Amino acid sequence: MMKPFEYFRPTSLKEALALLNTYGEEATLLNGGTDLIVRMREGHSSPKAVIDIKHIEMLRKIKVTDSEITIGACVLLNDVGSHPVIRERVPFLAQAALSVGSKQVRNRATCIGNICNASPLADTATPLLALDAEVEIYGEAGVKRIPLKDFFVFVRKTVLKQNEIVTSISFNTNKDAKGIFEKMSRRKEVDLSTVCGTVFRGKDGYRVSMGAVAPTPIRLYKTEAYLDAHDLTEDVIQSACEVAVNEVSPISDIRASKAYRQELVHLILKHALSEWL
Amino acid sequence: MKFVGKSVKRVDGVKKVTGTLKYVDDIKLSRMLYAAVKRSPHAHANIISINVEKARALKGVKEIITGDQFERRGGLYLEDKNFLAVGKARYRGEGVAAVCAETEEIAQNAVDLIEVEYEVLPAVTNAKEGMKPEAPLVHPDLGDYHWAPVFFPKPGTNISNHYKLRKGDAPEIFKEAEFVVENNFYVPHVQHVPIETHTAIAQMDADGYLTVWASCQSPYAVRQALSAAFDIPLNKLRVLSPAVGGGFGSKAGTTLEGIIIPFAMHAKGRPVKLTYSRQDEFENAYVRQGLHAAIKTAVNKEGKILAVQNEFIWDGGAYTEYGVNIAKAAGYASAGPYDIDNVWTDSYCVYTNHPVGGPYRGFGMSEIHFGIEQNLDIIAEKLGITPVEIRKINGMKPGGTTGTGEVVTVSGLMECLDQVVEDIKFYERSEPSSPTKVRGKGIACGWKAPSMPNNAASSAIIKLNEDGTAHLLVSAQDIGQGSDTVMTQIAAEVLSISPEKITIKTGDTDHTPYEWQTVASRITYSAGRAVYEACHDAMDQLLDLSQIKLGIFKRDLELRDGYVVSKIYPDKKVSISELALGLNFEDGSAIHGPIIGRGSFIPPNIRNADKKTGLGDHPVVFWTYGVQGVEVEVDLETGQTKVLKVASCFDVGRVVNPQLLEGQIEGAIVQGLGTALFEELMLKEGKVLNPSFVDYKIPTADDMPEMIIKFVENPEETGPFGARGVAEPAMVPSAPAIANAIYDATGIRLNTMPMTAEKVLAAMQAK
Repeated sequence: MMKPFEYFRPTSLKEALALLNTYGEEATLLNGGTDLIVRMREGHSSPKAVIDIKHIEMLRKIKVTDSEITIGACVLLNDVGSHPVIRERVPFLAQAALSVGSKQVRNRATCIGNICNASPLADTATPLLALDAEVEIYGEAGVKRIPLKDFFVFVRKTVLKQNEIVTSISFNTNKDAKGIFEKMSRRKEVDLSTVCGTVFRGKDGYRVSMGAVAPTPIRLYKTEAYLDAHDLTEDVIQSACEVAVNEVSPISDIRASKAYRQELVHLILKHALSEWL
Repeated sequence: MKFVGKSVKRVDGVKKVTGTLKYVDDIKLSRMLYAAVKRSPHAHANIISINVEKARALKGVKEIITGDQFERRGGLYLEDKNFLAVGKARYRGEGVAAVCAETEEIAQNAVDLIEVEYEVLPAVTNAKEGMKPEAPLVHPDLGDYHWAPVFFPKPGTNISNHYKLRKGDAPEIFKEAEFVVENNFYVPHVQHVPIETHTAIAQMDADGYLTVWASCQSPYAVRQALSAAFDIPLNKLRVLSPAVGGGFGSKAGTTLEGIIIPFAMHAKGRPVKLTYSRQDEFENAYVRQGLHAAIKTAVNKEGKILAVQNEFIWDGGAYTEYGVNIAKAAGYASAGPYDIDNVWTDSYCVYTNHPVGGPYRGFGMSEIHFGIEQNLDIIAEKLGITPVEIRKINGMKPGGTTGTGEVVTVSGLMECLDQVVEDIKFYERSEPSSPTKVRGKGIACGWKAPSMPNNAASSAIIKLNEDGTAHLLVSAQDIGQGSDTVMTQIAAEVLSISPEKITIKTGDTDHTPYEWQTVASRITYSAGRAVYEACHDAMDQLLDLSQIKLGIFKRDLELRDGYVVSKIYPDKKVSISELALGLNFEDGSAIHGPIIGRGSFIPPNIRNADKKTGLGDHPVVFWTYGVQGVEVEVDLETGQTKVLKVASCFDVGRVVNPQLLEGQIEGAIVQGLGTALFEELMLKEGKVLNPSFVDYKIPTADDMPEMIIKFVENPEETGPFGARGVAEPAMVPSAPAIANAIYDATGIRLNTMPMTAEKVLAAMQAK
């Protein structure tokens, strides 16, 4: 049962930060709330102060330039998935965004929330990792950018400090680059990934990322290096899949066994690479 | 016929689609109190002490009860259950104490403050292990319990019922048979997952008169159980079930009602409410029992089954007050819808330290058919005949005998089989959607009888109003299946007035007449028959008065469109509104008074089977037969199965409402599909590992196959207009048909449900 809490609705980042400083560890940010409210109802989280950032106007925008896309912290997953430029330049990110939960959930849930929640199987994490995305963080010292790959620390843990706010995530786009996202789940709709992954090929080489195969969504650097060093053939694909399977460290749980997850890693990589053969 | 056989619109439709129908949880009474339950964290543990002092000290706590205050056991067929644990907890989640407080939050906080000291006992977490003599006993005092004499508990063991069926001489046949096939199957626990969780409110007035609002399928059964448990006479106990958001059997008995009644008794008129969370639903309501099945079949080279020997071991959970009947029902249906001369079956209901097993749509039948129907395909393949041929050879036809030795007079099984073979295009192949996918088709038959006491009764009252409209009173509960509409249609047909002129009232033991239970696919048949009788009674009264009024013999009169009309001179008529309050004469006098029709029904001549052999000439009211065919596509890379198409055909006796019936069949197919592919209550040391929809998956709209739904109508002699039940039978063949289709597609045979992608892939790789 949910414990009582104080609810705040700041309209500026400065105001939000002041509240975080006031309440310290007892404060939590509320964005879409699709994770937080469930956790609060089940008693896993009992904050004294809930700071709703959805009304900070600047966090609700998607900014597009010729070479970069920036997704604000409060942009909904459905809005990421339906954005024409995102669909055109990075369709695999749109696809990943639309694979989260149900349409109703995606009308509340945000892309940044999906990232900050730091689930090992965050669906939007693998395309953003593959895009070498950067997270913009606002704090006492002002604004800083860190690579997404350095953002995740462990299951549900990020480098984010208690008095910091992720304001957006950005990545470069290049029309020659291609990416493929695939999600494997027990049920096609409204399910968590058993394994999800993105395979990306740009002018500087391959980037491969997988979810639900380690404590955080991960890049598969050895697999990338192997692919970068070889021309794509069926044998290379097979070998790359073997490298990938050895590079991940999935666990067995009620959703799938370790062996099945390894099987799916193999399949996701094979499916993507075969498209480019 | 005017209304029967037509897709009359649901009488509860507008309220449901507008969200205005009031369910129990919507009821807000003034000064309501709330209950919460302290639950055992152990699967099996003696309760050493319960300290409620801290909880009692919390502001807003009204009362705390513990199990030892209510030692009287209850139960439908075997009295083995208390509303709160007495002495020891037998499953993880069993209530050991309960709190009543001013708010839900205070009640929950108080529960957290209750301190319970346990002595943990070794747990029985596998029914087969639980049968062994060295297994810990879940109910050491079983011998002291009361049970209905048609059940056979074995005190000193965990076996709460050993059902035996001995027809012919199976052991002798096995010695000489040309082919003997033996297979084992396992069906895990699943949960009903009704949209509305269990909920109840209880309120006692100063006279000691108790009112209970419960989301339940069977208000009269709840009234009886609560009356026995709390020594309240039936005339001082009213159970209301205003609306039910899905039951599937989980609301057939009592679950949480008994927890709040002790509070209501002391609350000086204040109502007390308890609503289950979804987690409670998975852990603390009913679940479908697990089944270990071993099926051995002797067959000759022409494909005729000579004998079967079955062993069913049911994982009944901590209490089997209802579960014993599941073992029995599975036992007497164990031959399946086949005409077999020699049948030997042992069906054991076994106590374990698992969640409480209970009735679930078609109880026993879906579980045993998962084995029966796969076993049959295995035999057919061995003999080199098709799945259709083996079913044609052995399938039940009129004149055949059931496993219990009853001679069958009505069975449309062969017609259903032909229809499904045609609709699913069983002998044709279709192209897979990708080179890494394969397609296959499977077929399965199924049968089911209402699993109920022989004397399960129904009644109905119809009251005519002075404007020619009517009120129909029954206690058959519309739990989503559409019974309110079907009862209204039957009344409309007999009285020859439109359904809009009839208002149906249900679910109030003070004001609507007796109904045994809304279970067993018996409502259209049994309650429908009571409505039919009640309306005939009203008609009889109307015709009596019309004889006098019109001067025409009763035999020449009939009801037509709101009038009593002469069959010979149709212009001679009198409106039923004119007769509703009696017949008035010209001198101002009147006779008879208001027309009230009364109907009562008990299925005729159902007799107990022989205790030793299980044989009987008429042990069940009827059998419903049907067939499903399925086409699947299996992904060879991931192992994922997609059900593309399902063709279903059942012999329903008479279609009362085609649209509602299709809805029932569609729901059954999808529920069967869910259990076949996704659903399993994952249990580890008695703990439910997936008590939420995050990890307990049921089908979504995306998983719906194309469905072709047909019916055969061989009338049921005692059913209203020939109708018999089909709500549960429709689910019975779904899972095995999918299993057979997966085999057809991939050549792998899975002996356990659910057939998840991971299991299918592993089996394909192991091949």
